[in-house]
Amino acid sequence: MLELFSTVYEVFMRTYPGFLRATVVTLQLTAIGVVLGTVIGLVFALMKISGSKILQGIANIYITVIRGTPLIVQIMFLYFGIVEIYTMDNFWAGAIALGVHNGAYIAEIFRGAIQGVDPGQREASMSLGMNRKQTMQRIVFPQALRRSIPPLGNQFIITLKDSSLVYIIGVGEIFSLANREAAQSFQPFESFLVVALYYLVLVMIFTYLLRWYENKLDVDKA
Amino acid sequence: MIIGENIHKSFGDLEVLKGVDLHVKPQEVVVLVGVSGSGKSTLLRCFNFLEMINSGKITIDGHTIDPKKENLSKIRAEVGMVFQHFNLFPHKTVLENVIEAPITVKKMKKEEAKKLGMNLLRKVGLEDKADVYPSKLSGGQKQRVAIARSLAMEPKVMLFDEPTSALDPELVGEVLQVMKQLAEEGMTMVVVTHEMKFAKEVADRVIMIDQGTIIESADPKTFFENPQSERTKQFIQLVE
Ligand SMILES: Nc1ncnc2c1ncn2[C@@H]1O[C@H](COP(=O)(O)OP(=O)(O)O)[C@@H](O)[C@H]1O
Ligand SMILES: [Mg+2]
Repeated sequence: MLELFSTVYEVFMRTYPGFLRATVVTLQLTAIGVVLGTVIGLVFALMKISGSKILQGIANIYITVIRGTPLIVQIMFLYFGIVEIYTMDNFWAGAIALGVHNGAYIAEIFRGAIQGVDPGQREASMSLGMNRKQTMQRIVFPQALRRSIPPLGNQFIITLKDSSLVYIIGVGEIFSLANREAAQSFQPFESFLVVALYYLVLVMIFTYLLRWYENKLDVDKA
Repeated sequence: MIIGENIHKSFGDLEVLKGVDLHVKPQEVVVLVGVSGSGKSTLLRCFNFLEMINSGKITIDGHTIDPKKENLSKIRAEVGMVFQHFNLFPHKTVLENVIEAPITVKKMKKEEAKKLGMNLLRKVGLEDKADVYPSKLSGGQKQRVAIARSLAMEPKVMLFDEPTSALDPELVGEVLQVMKQLAEEGMTMVVVTHEMKFAKEVADRVIMIDQGTIIESADPKTFFENPQSERTKQFIQLVE
């Protein structure tokens, strides 16, 4: 037991400069994946509630395909499909894949949040003479946005962990570093234990920040 | 002020309004009663075009409305509506709730709207709550804010759909008081309520709606003391 602890400690001390750099890459991938996913998600959520059959159909196909296939397949598909046509570095290929993937999930988060706003809100707004657009912009969306913050935070944490899969196209985030370390040092167990700790600490930090932010929102409005 | 002629409204196969005629004169207060499911809310919602009638005619202030041609938002702004569950905007303060529509719809200047909003809040006795969020208010206070919010658009007629039904008994009075004051100021009102005391004291006319048709319409004294239809008699016994 003590021996395991000391070898893990040894691996940790030897690798942390590299891991800290790789952590930055992981966070960048996550941030881009979530921001891009939010933009894509918003567009598709609006398409889904647009009332236009064509737009709804397009959004449904996108969401069904993305949610029905593994992320790793999407990463490979995007990498080989796009990098062939348009040269792009691996980091961006990975980040865009994460964004496209997240877009489908975030679209559903937004759609659920918009439809979850009490219909009475829409009615009250309309009864005051506000038109559909004003009602959406001023009454429904602000409430939907607040409702979507907890699930978006959740999606952020999922993305943080999912970003490990872009190691497959050779982006230097923390999992690929652990993978390389495991092979080179012949200490796979210790290496993966260390990377698990990195993820765990990152997730705990962000979970804490999100909870703090949600509480702050509640306190402000309650 | 607001006239409904031969209004029919169905939801799928369910015919909810079966040819309703209702003529509300300027400054008149009409109380609408009837058992649950008789179509009272639907009638109010048709008057505000939250529901579209299947056939019939609605005239507001001498102007017959063709829902296909008209800007319905503009018409809704002239018809205030107060809901059973208040439907205040939870992400806005009390004052912001009141001034939202004047600013967004009427493009009123913010300063002017605030002045109007504060006046209305004073009228309903809640000027000290201007800057709090609705979640901090009691049900009675919420409903008074909702009334002020409706009044901010200076509607020609106010519709109330069971405005006190969701309130604790001790909070009913303060809302009815505000409504009574409105009636005294000459507001044209259509009120769905189970508060028979309000009907007796404030209404010019009480109307009983049953299974989608009006079966009784009379001044409160006649309505309660000498009702014509059996259903109305039963109903009065039930609620008193
Ligand atoms: N949007 C709707 N879709 C289907 N049925 C409805 C809808 N709104 C009301 N109804 C039905 O119409 C009938 C009358 O409802 P309502 O006008 O709310 O009655 P009241 O307000 O007198 O209790 C009820 O049977 C109700 O279930
Ligand atoms: Mg009702």
